[in-house]
Amino acid sequence: MNDLAVASLAEIALRTLAVSASALAVAVAIGLPLGIALGRRRFRGRGAAVSLVNTAMGLPPVVVGLVVALLLWRSGPLGGLGLMYTPTAMVIAQLLIALPLVVGLSHAAVGALGPEWHLQVRALGLSGMRSLWLLLRETRLGLLAAVIAALGGILSEVGAVMMVGGNLEGETRVLTTGILMYTQMGRFDDALALSALLLGLTLVLTGTLTALQQSGRR
Amino acid sequence: MSGAVLEARDLRVRPPGANGPDGFELSVGALALHAGSVLAVLGPNGAGKSTLLRALAGLETQARGNVTRHAAGPVAMVFQRPVMVAGSVAWNVALPLWGAGVPRAERRRRVAAALDRFGLAPLAARRADSLSGGEMRRVALAQAFVREPAALLLDEPFDDLDARAQEALSLDLREAIRATNVAVALVTHDLRQALLLADRIAVLIGGHLAQVGPRDAVLRRPANVEVAPLVGMTNLLPGRVVARDPEGDAVVEIAPEYRLRAAAGATIGADVWVGIRPEHVKVDVGRGDTRVIGKGHVVRTLSDGMLVTAWIAWAGHELRIVAIAGRGLGHALAPGDGVSLALRPQDVHLIPR
Repeated sequence: MNDLAVASLAEIALRTLAVSASALAVAVAIGLPLGIALGRRRFRGRGAAVSLVNTAMGLPPVVVGLVVALLLWRSGPLGGLGLMYTPTAMVIAQLLIALPLVVGLSHAAVGALGPEWHLQVRALGLSGMRSLWLLLRETRLGLLAAVIAALGGILSEVGAVMMVGGNLEGETRVLTTGILMYTQMGRFDDALALSALLLGLTLVLTGTLTALQQSGRR
Repeated sequence: MSGAVLEARDLRVRPPGANGPDGFELSVGALALHAGSVLAVLGPNGAGKSTLLRALAGLETQARGNVTRHAAGPVAMVFQRPVMVAGSVAWNVALPLWGAGVPRAERRRRVAAALDRFGLAPLAARRADSLSGGEMRRVALAQAFVREPAALLLDEPFDDLDARAQEALSLDLREAIRATNVAVALVTHDLRQALLLADRIAVLIGGHLAQVGPRDAVLRRPANVEVAPLVGMTNLLPGRVVARDPEGDAVVEIAPEYRLRAAAGATIGADVWVGIRPEHVKVDVGRGDTRVIGKGHVVRTLSDGMLVTAWIAWAGHELRIVAIAGRGLGHALAPGDGVSLALRPQDVHLIPR
């Protein structure tokens, strides 16, 4: 039995957390404003943008991994950055998976208010910041659902991070790639241990977001 | 008391999606709202009433022309289906004050007054999304009045309310308008609802103002045959001015042997539409009357318990008349009855044909 050391387990879990949290943070920072703007503004090409986002929401992670790998490959267009098989490459791949989810679902949440809502709030004479605050308050449930969905999407993702991270021990191994590897090696105990960790992490993170989502709901 | 508070000049709005030469365009040369006065904007569906209101509120991004405010306060608008935000009734009413950065103490005082004005004090702590449609309308009105607006724009404020709720709301609204001296524009497709509050009436047809004027002037002297039925002048008969009688009234012939007098200046020989409001025709079953214009017979009747509408064959046309049910002649009308019809010359309106 080649039991994983507890230190090694913790290291993998922490890396998973760091990679996914970084990707999620960037996805939310870019995606929420985009999704909100897409939901409340009318502009030429809006329909095309929405259908692009909806298509991207269904993008297979393996394809995302392939595209990022092609870009970052040593002879690829961004090869000079030397990012292939680094955590940064994994963050980029996860970001590309999470971003459409955040944009698409936050757009849907804001769009569900309807044009009449936006018109009437405008008629109340609210300032830009206050009407934005009101909008966030009204759509909080949907916006946090977008964040939760994105988090779930990247925490459970294995194909893309495997391709661009390489599952290098001590460098780019995360919980999902570890589970995949140990299962293929027949080391089911280790695979189960990592799985338990992944489930626990998912539970804690989504649980926290859910608590945030439901707080103050009257 | 009656200075212009909000004035529109050469207002043109072409809503998105209404392109092409046949596309709808709202085009209003001049329209003014006066302090303490209610202008009812009447018109059929699709005439551009709501577009006009949104343009006056500055909410139409496509609007061309000038909307000038001559008073300090804001322009508030109450929509046909007001949206409520999550939270209590009081919070919804407070929203525009919060948005304008009004201090908490003043906010609380003004919200309490606005809630009180529309009978909402007992509902202050209720969740706004648990209210009925009529209650939401009142919340939206309180939300408008709390801003102490110079002008108030109401889109179908009585829609979907039953008759008693309409009465109650119009009494509260009239009181609020008097107390605050706000200038009001009220849009409705329903003449009865317009008349609950209107001091002046504007008629909008196909994006154009067909007539604007004091309430009685528009009701008694509609500008043309399109306006007439919209303001309740539902009897329009073709006739010709044949003479002028010694009192100066025009004598109009509707058909051979069927003549009536109109207190109107019209040249002899002119073809006219004769406009008569149903409530101005007096009927007298089987008896004569000095102002009688002839005899007719009842074709059919319809009663809602309060008013009887009767269609009476006269001069080859059917005159629609209205009488109060169960009082005087109202209950006696039955199909086949012969009646004498009487009409005052000043109640007969002539429109060039």
